[in-house]
Amino acid sequence: MIGGFDRRLPSLYMARRNLSRTKVRSVLAALGIVIGVIAIASLGMFGLTLRYQISESLGGLGNQVLVTPGEDADGSISVRDLREIETVAGPETTVVPSKARSTVVTYGRGGGGGGGDPAAGSERRIVRGVENPGLIYTAREGEIPDPYRSGALIGPSVAEQYDLGPGDAISINGSSTRVVAVLEAGNGFGFMSPSNDIILPNREFQGRGYSQVLVSTESSTVANETAVALRSELNGRRELVQVQDFSSVADSIGQTFNALNLFLIGIGSISLLVAGVSILNVMLMSTVERREEIGVLRAVGFQKRDVLKIMLSEAVLLGLIGGIVGVAFSLVAGMVINHFIVGDALLAFRPSNFLYIGLAFTFGVGTSLLSGLYPAWKAANERPVEALRS
Amino acid sequence: MVVIETRNVVKRYQTGGETLTALKGIDFAVEPGEFVSIMGPSGSGKTTLLNLLGLLDDPSEGEVLLDGEDVTGLSDKEQTRARKRTIGFVFQNFYLIPTLTARENVEIPALFDRDPTVEDRSVDLLGRMGLGDRLDHRPDQLSGGQKQRVAIARSLINEPRVLLADEPTGNLDRETGRQILEEFAAVTERDVAVIAVTHDELVNEYVDRVVRLVDGYMGEDAPTATGAAGGPSDAVESAVEEVAGGESDESEASASDGDPEGEGS
Repeated sequence: MIGGFDRRLPSLYMARRNLSRTKVRSVLAALGIVIGVIAIASLGMFGLTLRYQISESLGGLGNQVLVTPGEDADGSISVRDLREIETVAGPETTVVPSKARSTVVTYGRGGGGGGGDPAAGSERRIVRGVENPGLIYTAREGEIPDPYRSGALIGPSVAEQYDLGPGDAISINGSSTRVVAVLEAGNGFGFMSPSNDIILPNREFQGRGYSQVLVSTESSTVANETAVALRSELNGRRELVQVQDFSSVADSIGQTFNALNLFLIGIGSISLLVAGVSILNVMLMSTVERREEIGVLRAVGFQKRDVLKIMLSEAVLLGLIGGIVGVAFSLVAGMVINHFIVGDALLAFRPSNFLYIGLAFTFGVGTSLLSGLYPAWKAANERPVEALRS
Repeated sequence: MVVIETRNVVKRYQTGGETLTALKGIDFAVEPGEFVSIMGPSGSGKTTLLNLLGLLDDPSEGEVLLDGEDVTGLSDKEQTRARKRTIGFVFQNFYLIPTLTARENVEIPALFDRDPTVEDRSVDLLGRMGLGDRLDHRPDQLSGGQKQRVAIARSLINEPRVLLADEPTGNLDRETGRQILEEFAAVTERDVAVIAVTHDELVNEYVDRVVRLVDGYMGEDAPTATGAAGGPSDAVESAVEEVAGGESDESEASASDGDPEGEGS
């Protein structure tokens, strides 16, 4: 440094000089902090990415509200109630009413080559009637007709069990119907997983009421609001409808992931604790080695406070260096994690990730400061007479 | 006119279960510009006295006066401030900071002062010490004598009234020792008192007076001598041996200088 000391921050200057005196030791001490910061930041980001990925794949979970007849209804939801549900839910949502009936279904009669099929047989099961299945289902094989007037839609499990495909015939309550499409299983949970369903056009059913109404909204928050509105609008003194939504399930999944994240960060913190101990050790060694030097500083007029400042600056400097390097590596780690879990490395730069990176950095510097306190205090309070006794 | 003074100072150490009395009532005073050496055998309390004079330690009894002001019993902070303002230290082992250049080492005592004149003063001091071409050398690039001159410059940076030197020539050869002592003599020309604790008889060629410590007593106060200590000024007078023309009696010195290895701690 040409021109004397850096006069603005003399203690930092001294600290820098002291750290550069034992380079390897300083680098190793800072490395501990680097590892700790990476551990906290990347475990935090890992938990966050996992949560993001799961909530992506859960998809519609929590976006749906299922309305079924209440205790005081006559076993079905009336057409008038359906209109009211549509009004309450608003134009942004998809309202799909359906009917249900228990009936005898016979597989493997007629159609292509299903004659001697061992899986063929008949059973009594629930058959549902949906007015416009194209709104909520997609076909894996075949096509969902629009408008839907004839033919049966079957879930993938049913298709597999009885070896059915588009064009095969099944018999429902004695009358033969052709299968027009096999439905996609749908992603994840929710009320609309059709894997075991057999769906017929609505007009095949007698009776004016519906057995259930499914309301799909854009998010779980909207779903929750819609559910609350439906309960209060439709149910006065009499409970006409029962409204179920998954928002509480979504909440508890969120809570589970928060706990998981805390746990991961806890594990990361242990490595930072180890780093803190190593800084404590390095600083203590350094105060012992520099005992005479600190004694001289005190003799030439350095106050205890000045010695304290120099020693603490050393610790904080180690923490800052470790923290900055750690943050750089954490960003790289975050990109790797996001690349492999979500498939988009740039998602590492989500704001909530920076929360964890900031947290890790703060913890890193804080740990260094805490570890430096005792050695600094010890150095500052050493009596110069003792220190200079050679 | 006295710049630093001790009055009936007693210093006791607690070692194990025993109490060791290192100084047994010292009356001692130094005037500005005076060059005084304190001599005595190992364990006679020389370093203890220097520590008391340098406000690094408190006496068990008696008082230390700096510019006529009692500085015993001051808080650590106040003592440190008084030390910084009035006293400079020179050590046998130089104690320069190895990572700093000569100039930075000289500026160290003023590091936290934010005083823009410090740089000029340090360059000026090093120039006076004949190190004008060594400003940016580190201690490991300097010889022993050069290091000690940097240390003297450091001790003078805050313009002290008193310079305390603990065996300043102890680690130097005879010729270099002479050069350092000449620097001290030059310093006293500027009204700075120099008090040197030493085994080295060479020092006595340059000092105004020699004070001998034996077994915690000063000069004629030693137990073998008769008569109790009088007033402080009497004691100082009686402890003084005028050294005429820088000449000293070598044989007498080696007799009183029991252990030339250095003070036991």
